[in-house]
Amino acid sequence: MTQLNNGITLFFSLLVEAMPFLLLGVIFSSVLLLFVDEQKLLAIIPKNVVLAALAGSLIGFLFPVCECGNIPVARRLLTKGAPTAVAIGFLLAAPTVNPVVFWATWIAFRDQPEIVFLRVGFTLIVAITIALIFSAQADLRPFLQDNLTRMMGEPEPVAATPSEPEISPLLKSGTFLMQSPGQVLQLDAPPAQVLAQVAVAPPPLIHRLRLMVDNMVLELRELGAVLVIGSAIAAFVQVAVPREVILGLGEGPVSSIVAMMALAWVVSICSTVDSFFALSFASTFTSGALLAFLVFGPMIDLKNISLLLTVFKGRAIIYLFVLAAQLTFLLTLVMNLYTG
Amino acid sequence: MTSIPQANGSRAPGRRQIPWQALVDATMLLLWGLMLLRFTVTGKLYLLLHPDYMWLAYLAMVLLLALGIARLLQVWSSYRQRGVPAPRSQEHLALLPRQLSSVLLIAIAVFGLIYTPRPFASETAFQRGITDVLGQTRSRPQRFSLGGDSETRTIVDWVRTLNVYPEPDAYAGQGAAVSGFVTHIPDWPDNFIMISRFVLTCCAADAYPVGLPVELPAGTPRPVPDTWLDIKGTMQTITLDGKRQLAIGSATLTEIPEPRTPYEY
Repeated sequence: MTQLNNGITLFFSLLVEAMPFLLLGVIFSSVLLLFVDEQKLLAIIPKNVVLAALAGSLIGFLFPVCECGNIPVARRLLTKGAPTAVAIGFLLAAPTVNPVVFWATWIAFRDQPEIVFLRVGFTLIVAITIALIFSAQADLRPFLQDNLTRMMGEPEPVAATPSEPEISPLLKSGTFLMQSPGQVLQLDAPPAQVLAQVAVAPPPLIHRLRLMVDNMVLELRELGAVLVIGSAIAAFVQVAVPREVILGLGEGPVSSIVAMMALAWVVSICSTVDSFFALSFASTFTSGALLAFLVFGPMIDLKNISLLLTVFKGRAIIYLFVLAAQLTFLLTLVMNLYTG
Repeated sequence: MTSIPQANGSRAPGRRQIPWQALVDATMLLLWGLMLLRFTVTGKLYLLLHPDYMWLAYLAMVLLLALGIARLLQVWSSYRQRGVPAPRSQEHLALLPRQLSSVLLIAIAVFGLIYTPRPFASETAFQRGITDVLGQTRSRPQRFSLGGDSETRTIVDWVRTLNVYPEPDAYAGQGAAVSGFVTHIPDWPDNFIMISRFVLTCCAADAYPVGLPVELPAGTPRPVPDTWLDIKGTMQTITLDGKRQLAIGSATLTEIPEPRTPYEY
């Protein structure tokens, strides 16, 4: 009975802590949807894949969201036709490389500034590497959920072949309305896309605000439900598996890293507040292990796997998970071995 | 201005239809806002979050309520004016079916409106490793001094101080006045209890226990676990479990009700 009560208290605690950040993410995503011209944003992004990955990783500075908030934005970027490198770079780096999290980490680890900077550095290395690996796949579609690919429309000739003769949009699946010759309007596209196609002149502000509310409600409903499930699982695991089992795995240079990564994965704490949590282990764990917690946790944890499933298919998430885990492990292990 | 075409052909123009989905959404948003409001008003938010982060929950509460009300207003205005499309949010993007998401969110909010969270107790303290008496604490003390009034130190203050300077003899003879809940440690003799508290750094998910051993005066019955006590006594060095450590001796125990903020920070 105590266990059940604890589990429920934990569950609500995670929800109450994560909900404000999810809300912020949804707000940013809706603003991006309606007030940022994706063509302009994407036009600024460099064509070079490495630079694009870097740019994507740094977009977090514009959208200070944690890992509960970055998925709506990443999803939006994908549907707006962002290159793979940008979207993946953003997805992995944004929860860590942003002013809010940097500030929080700085507060927590003022005594060890190297942790603050290495956290950002390692995250960028891992995010850019994975973004490059995923860019090798020309078309990301097979990795994405079907309903998302449907929203994305046909593959945009991203930077490569802009002059290719356009296939008639009528050959796509969906419901269409003929507009002026050569132009069609896809009716089952999301409201904002329809709006963007219909309105040559920007629609009045009130209209856009209204669509923004529509979009916020929609994303809150979807991602909120997923967050509920993720928090329930995280609370269950925390109650069912004693913390000592994870911490007891060892304190050596290798096992401590593995233990902290496992802990980060299980605890599913928001990246804006996880540095305070990590601080509690500062005296018992190696610096490398702390960094592993701080770098790996925001990228993939138990809670946001369910959120990631709204974007990616299971196979892609396994790739993301394995790559992020290996890279984080390698980098922090090197650090442990060098700094002792 | 170009109006947005209706993707949903079933909504015939001019016919009033009750926009169920929008109403359900509004209900969901309002219930979540109310759930947060209830946690705030009843003080149960203190069981879930560190006070430093509560403004985030307040912000979420205001936003959710505002969004819910905006949704209701939209529904109302579109219901009064024929021809204006009812607000809708139906992208086909969901991992979960729309109805399932709504039902789940509403159910959790209703549950949150009924359920009263309980603070963690001794059993959890034991599970989370309170036996490590001088366990790590999250923040290091800004200032360390053996002076000052030792009776103003809380349990976590004592543990932090001990972490910096662990020699128990340095504190022997100092007065102690702390409050916390009782935990029994299996290997300890019957005249010892642990007076303990949970410490939060951000939310209940990272609560960890700290505690100080208390030597009960002869003839005092051992208080049952989870009893909240005020303890006044004098610090002394004892050997427990083969370990020299600091304990509160010649203690007077006063039972107190569970405090509004059972955690320390």
